[in-house]
Amino acid sequence: MNVKAGQGSMSVMPVRRARLIAALAALWIVLVLSLGAWWVTLVIRQARQIGELQSLAGSADSAVAAQWASTRRMVVGESSLFLMLLLAVTAVLAWLYWRESRRARGMQAFFAAVTHELRTPLTSIRLQAEAIAEGDQRVELARRLLEDSSRLESQIDKTLELARIEGGGPLAEQSVPLHSWLKRTLTPIGAAHGERLELRLQLDESLPPILADAAAVQMILRNLVENSVRHAQLERVQVSVAARARGEQVVIEYHDDGAGSAVEGPQLGRLFGRGAGSGGSGVGLYLVRALMQRMGGRAEFHSSPGNGFRAELYFAASRESAAP
Amino acid sequence: MNTGAHVLVVEDERNVGETLAERLQGAGYRVTLAPSAARARLAWRAQAPQLTLLDVGLPDGNGFELAGELRAAVPQSAIIFLTAHGNPEERVRGLELGADDYLTKPFHFRELLLRIHNCLKRAQELVELPGEMRGVVRIGRARVDFERFSAEVAGVSHALTHKECAVLRLLASRAGKAVSRDEILDKAWSADEFPTSRTVDNFIVRLRKLVEPDADEPRVIRSIRGVGYLLTEVIRE
Repeated sequence: MNVKAGQGSMSVMPVRRARLIAALAALWIVLVLSLGAWWVTLVIRQARQIGELQSLAGSADSAVAAQWASTRRMVVGESSLFLMLLLAVTAVLAWLYWRESRRARGMQAFFAAVTHELRTPLTSIRLQAEAIAEGDQRVELARRLLEDSSRLESQIDKTLELARIEGGGPLAEQSVPLHSWLKRTLTPIGAAHGERLELRLQLDESLPPILADAAAVQMILRNLVENSVRHAQLERVQVSVAARARGEQVVIEYHDDGAGSAVEGPQLGRLFGRGAGSGGSGVGLYLVRALMQRMGGRAEFHSSPGNGFRAELYFAASRESAAP
Repeated sequence: MNTGAHVLVVEDERNVGETLAERLQGAGYRVTLAPSAARARLAWRAQAPQLTLLDVGLPDGNGFELAGELRAAVPQSAIIFLTAHGNPEERVRGLELGADDYLTKPFHFRELLLRIHNCLKRAQELVELPGEMRGVVRIGRARVDFERFSAEVAGVSHALTHKECAVLRLLASRAGKAVSRDEILDKAWSADEFPTSRTVDNFIVRLRKLVEPDADEPRVIRSIRGVGYLLTEVIRE
């Protein structure tokens, strides 16, 4: 789980473009301030002239002075408010631009990563298909073909789920009987990785059902397992999954014995954050975190070099009886 | 000529690596498979490969950096990058770092075989030096050893890539005479590559940095307008 900090925004904005934008922003601020200062000066000067004319017309000096002070307060107050609003709007627009640029770069990196993730199993599939076409009839080739096609399928699922979640797609939450359901779900996920994965389950018999979208939990578990197999840097990674009740919550504790990562927990699961050189699209752990939040729970990730990867998934316990 | 050549496959994707290794063995090559940069280093120390197929994204390093290490440790080994990143910037970077070729995934195995064959052929031609190119020759401020693919400048040794060696050797073999860009392309690149005249110019810029006392005012490798380049002299040591 070798995540490189800051790699989410893979491509750097061209320096020339960034300089141009900074110069335009500075020019805009100078222009706004100059216009504001000019306007204030102009209004004050005109107010002073009006005061002088009033004095010439015979108005009392004290009345003229009071009116002048009132006018100046109004002009200064209004112009300050106007300038502050203008600067605030400028700042908001600049922030929105920066955020959208960052997001666009992230998307660009994501599509590059997804393309990479699709090309790799395609390469393998093509190599094996060519071998079969030339008469190689080994079962091993069929096994690899199945593994690669599963990988393609998983990548497509993750991409679609990301689009759905980002688009605010709904979840179908219901009461899920965790004990039996986890066993049923994890067995095929484990089997898909064959010899590369050893899965250990420790489930409390008296676990209450959880309030969750079963399909979302399935994707969460699949992403965690795929992540472990991909980043463990082991021929065979050992994964243990335990679940226990904690007050009104149920916690699923996930742990692998892989290489671990030096990256701090909050950085793991950042959208488009990818492993250094180890591939991945930077979506798997992000989906785990986003799906947990959408179900009203939370996901915490922990990892350190040599200590593997650990995730804690906090679900709300359901008060209803479990769906069949 | 290439039968039995030792090929090191550095590929972390198990299915791709294993299938590739099996198919290359089936084509008559001796193959060592390394799933990481660390294993690749061990492999080339144990037995120098004649050709290395190098994936760019590795779990413990970057294929581009590894290519530099490999070039310094085993200069005679040809390098072909295999990568899913097909953008032109990465391709140029790979070739500038000394790769002999660059193939984007997914590829046809027959195409890979052809590229391997051509790379090994070119590497073999580079190893077979004519008498006057053996030993150390002085070109400008550099002491060049074509047999070791290295150039020593002010006491510092620089590894030469196969392409740099091929271009410099061609110019040295015709010292005092102009060599056209087309001829350089014809001799140093194979038909399955698609370089441009600009590619040659880039290599010349890099060679000038090595051999010229002042690369901004080249006197050792001179440009001949409308023709190509001329190496003024080569001194045998």
